[in-house]
Amino acid sequence: MKNPHHRSLLLLATLWLVMLLIFVLIRPAILQLSMAESVLHFSSMLALVGLGQALLILSGAGMDISVGGMVSLTAILTMMAVQAGVPAALIPLLALVIGLCLGLVNGVLVISCRLLSLIATLGTMFAYGGLALALTGGATVSGVPGWLLPWGRGTLLGIPAHFLTTVMPAYLIAAAVLALTPLGRWILAMGNNERSARLVGIPVGRIRFILYGVSGLLSGLAALISLAWFGSGRPDIGTNMELESLAAVLLGGVAIAGGRGGVGGVLAAVLLVVGLQAGLQYLNISSSWQLGVVGLLLILALLSDRLPWRFAKRV
Amino acid sequence: MAASPASLRLVRAAGGRELTLLAGCLLTVLVFSLASPYFLLAANLATIMRNSVELLIIGLGMTFVLAIGGIDVSVGLVMGLGAIGVGQALLAGLPLWLVVLIGPLCGTLIGAITGSVIVFGRIPAIVATIGLLGIYRTAIYALLGGSWLSGLPTGLTTLVRMTPAGVPLPVIVILLLYLLAYLLLRWTPFGLHILAVGQDEARARLAGVAVRRVRFLAYLASGCLCGIAAVSYVGTYRNVEMTTGASMSLDAIAAVVLGGTSILGGRASLLGTLLGVVLLRMLVNGFTLIGVPSLWQSVVTGVLLLAALIAENLVSGQIPWHRLRRGAA
Repeated sequence: MKNPHHRSLLLLATLWLVMLLIFVLIRPAILQLSMAESVLHFSSMLALVGLGQALLILSGAGMDISVGGMVSLTAILTMMAVQAGVPAALIPLLALVIGLCLGLVNGVLVISCRLLSLIATLGTMFAYGGLALALTGGATVSGVPGWLLPWGRGTLLGIPAHFLTTVMPAYLIAAAVLALTPLGRWILAMGNNERSARLVGIPVGRIRFILYGVSGLLSGLAALISLAWFGSGRPDIGTNMELESLAAVLLGGVAIAGGRGGVGGVLAAVLLVVGLQAGLQYLNISSSWQLGVVGLLLILALLSDRLPWRFAKRV
Repeated sequence: MAASPASLRLVRAAGGRELTLLAGCLLTVLVFSLASPYFLLAANLATIMRNSVELLIIGLGMTFVLAIGGIDVSVGLVMGLGAIGVGQALLAGLPLWLVVLIGPLCGTLIGAITGSVIVFGRIPAIVATIGLLGIYRTAIYALLGGSWLSGLPTGLTTLVRMTPAGVPLPVIVILLLYLLAYLLLRWTPFGLHILAVGQDEARARLAGVAVRRVRFLAYLASGCLCGIAAVSYVGTYRNVEMTTGASMSLDAIAAVVLGGTSILGGRASLLGTLLGVVLLRMLVNGFTLIGVPSLWQSVVTGVLLLAALIAENLVSGQIPWHRLRRGAA
């Protein structure tokens, strides 16, 4: 238990157990298959956004506060393009490309213009999110073709289709890259010690630039899921996603300074955050409370690193 | 006579950034007064001043927070929470002096929470305040229960609208606060400590500065100022909504950064903050006058913030041009 990563995962497992226990004690009926299915359904978007966030933080590039803004703006721009006459068949491609471009803008700001990641993505968060609202006046943009809806709403083998086709491959690929390829080693190495990573010749700037693009791409994918799910582009779909994704990534055992952690923990933490929200919903607790609970989880995850785990030495 | 090099140096040291900002403000006035006949009317200028009050006070606190190398994205909601406290105190019919005190008291208390989490929990300020943002938002919801405080008694409004010796009371309060902050920053050891901590925390600690205390006090001061802003807010608008102060945090950060306070800490400009706030508020007002919907406000602010930072890096030579040309390689 000396390994801080194991410590974080222990905290995550404890929180999982506590959450399940509390929900089961209050309302035993909560333990049903449809509940698990709806949690998976709700978790796809956060899982994708959280994966991009996790890779960025792992590489020590700081964080991406603009993820929510990217999701909103991608959904809006995609649908506006369709309304302007772009063939609807191009929706999936359009969402991915727009997301990628928005992410690369962040990359240019942070890597090429050398802005602090937190202030650069804070700026783009308001620019993207504001643009999504301003372009639509706050209204939803309709026009998603019918053939996209089954993917957003249906299930395959009892698992929501979009979870099966996006989240699972994305996490498998990310885990494989991190564990098996030189690129993965590089990402962890430059998160651990940027200076020595540069000295041994790892192209730190280039990889971080690419990772900002990946974060944008995954946000675009999340936006695509929201389109297929709701059947329209919502300008506020990404609201609070920066908070939720940071909470998930840090609860998932990724060190805030980078270099330590894995994507498996992140997925478990995403399911915890979404499960908690779904459970509160089930208990008819207003959604306004969910934000505070997630905020509390985020701070708890970071405080857990500070606790004097004295007993750990004896184990 | 041409300016001597010495006086040129003095101008640059006293405020190259402030002069640039002043020029920006004048340019903004020029452009909008040409674009709209209403911009330069006394009533409109009074409106701009009126709309700047809370941001001026909160921006002052943000200047200290950025100067120590921190950041706080929850300040707007701290003002919102303070406003709820002030509003409830008014509804409860407390005496006016107590109502006025309750704002800063609430603010200081919340500032203490924020400061403790960041400083004693040793959590990066941006992550901590994003988390606290969620918690404060829920707290506002819990306190207001989904509705809003309105039709508040007018006692506070009379106070805010007072004009002793012909000068509006908020103006006097703001000038006093900025003067106090200036003296604190330039003439006391505490001011020196703030800049030292922002410049290099490790060295400041080696030099014997109580780094944690200084950082904590900066967040405390910021909270207190948010509370003072809350008193002004309630006095002016006489209602408190769920969204009160929601957009204030980015505005404050943008204004302070525009004003030349370094986002990395170690450099603070109070005059810059003042000018930054006025510039932001003039832009918002001007855009509204020429018919841009207010929804564009956060886009303008965000882009302005990024543009200012990029310009700063370009001027200081931090961005190598050949890298820009080659792309992000």
